[in-house]
Amino acid sequence: MCSATMPPEPRVRGVICASFGATGDTADQGVGGRPGHHLRWASANPDSLAELGAVLEQSCVGIRLMINGPAADVAAAAAVAAEHGMLDEEMTLRVDEDELRILVCGHCRTATTVPSRATEVDCQGCHTSLAVTDHFSRRLGGYLGFSAHAEEAP
Amino acid sequence: MTTLQPIVHPAVEGGFQLEVTSRRMQTESIVTIAFRDPAGLPLPSYVPGSHLVVQYGDAVQADSITGANAYSLTGSGNTPSEYSISVLLIEDGAGGSLAMHRLNVGDRVWVSRPRSAFAPAATARHQLLIAAGIGITPVLSHARYAAEWGTSASLIYVYRRGEGAHATELRELLGPALTECHDRGSFQQVLADKLVTQKLGTHLYVCGPPAFMDSVLGQARDLGWPDGRLHSEAFTAGELDAGDPFVVRLARSGVKLEVPAGVSLLEVLEKEGRRIPNMCRKGICGECEIPVLRGVPQHRDLYLSDSEKAENTTMMCCVSRSMDEELELDL
Repeated sequence: MCSATMPPEPRVRGVICASFGATGDTADQGVGGRPGHHLRWASANPDSLAELGAVLEQSCVGIRLMINGPAADVAAAAAVAAEHGMLDEEMTLRVDEDELRILVCGHCRTATTVPSRATEVDCQGCHTSLAVTDHFSRRLGGYLGFSAHAEEAP
Repeated sequence: MTTLQPIVHPAVEGGFQLEVTSRRMQTESIVTIAFRDPAGLPLPSYVPGSHLVVQYGDAVQADSITGANAYSLTGSGNTPSEYSISVLLIEDGAGGSLAMHRLNVGDRVWVSRPRSAFAPAATARHQLLIAAGIGITPVLSHARYAAEWGTSASLIYVYRRGEGAHATELRELLGPALTECHDRGSFQQVLADKLVTQKLGTHLYVCGPPAFMDSVLGQARDLGWPDGRLHSEAFTAGELDAGDPFVVRLARSGVKLEVPAGVSLLEVLEKEGRRIPNMCRKGICGECEIPVLRGVPQHRDLYLSDSEKAENTTMMCCVSRSMDEELELDL
């Protein structure tokens, strides 16, 4: 998939292509004729993110990272890459039509997966009714949710 | 009786006066000078890689040759009791390095507050430092900072045998993380190896002669290093010729000013009483940018990008001049 849509910059010495979910088939050959390292997981969970982190830990400056998949998985993987020192200009994010988003509770920090059209949901962690915002944290890989009726008189 | 007012160079305005506490020859042509506050007051901390503008020449007599040069501070910057600079004597320079070499313990000089244009990236997981010759000075500051705070750093230091300023200290600071090179061939080998083996998250910092820096940065880019990982400190903008005379028209006041050959537009504007923010006065820092309404500037700075230069809507008045006989400025 990567090779077809995103020709890498000519000077790059290697591309890691990480795909999540049901994104189209990953090509077996290198990316744009260069050595490619393909990783594929069903979703971005602690295990798959740890594996991605381990690969990045072994990598040297000069590589690029492409991440494909649903928005929540791509954002989680991009946050891991940034934590390992990757710059925005070294990453290409390709997001599938997203139907779900990660909502991070501003009160207990628990991440809850919610339909992207939801406006108000209960936090899985502290059960506070959260207002879904468009405020996205790249570090946490999710959107901010805060107590929906905090400012209303009881 | 008239009181002689000290003449303070515009580049050190807002700074302070310091006293020389020690001078020591690093090599035959590089002197290390330490300054402190005459009253022993603490000096402002600074970010590693910062520089100090030091005024030279007689500060009292207006007709003597005065100027101001930027020198890198070599300390870590953390609550300094002294500021220390190392200066290479340039035999045919404008006189700044000679004046520094002539300073004695007890002499007083006007200096700016420290200025930063070569700061470490807070997110760097490792710092690859590269210095050639006197370019070691800001890099030494980075190395000391890294040692003090326990961050990861390594250094490739290129210098001619016998001319390695601060080499002993650097060996103590960095141990095996220091690679010393004495010729181009061995440096090329080390550089080529280091550029492809740096762990993800490494940032590169280079200081040295312009051609050296261009070569290092060019090779890094060729090996896939994005610009966000590359940091360089230009300490010489190269010698600029005096240029042709031209005229500027200040659109807001309608004033016309002549800029003679050998005099910068910045100096002309200052003489006219205009306060133009400025720092390096060498076309490096970008502080003295002024808007151009008409005419084609002769861009001689290192700050604007090629596309910004081509737009001809702005110029660095410390070094840039005019291709046309007249420029109209939005001042």
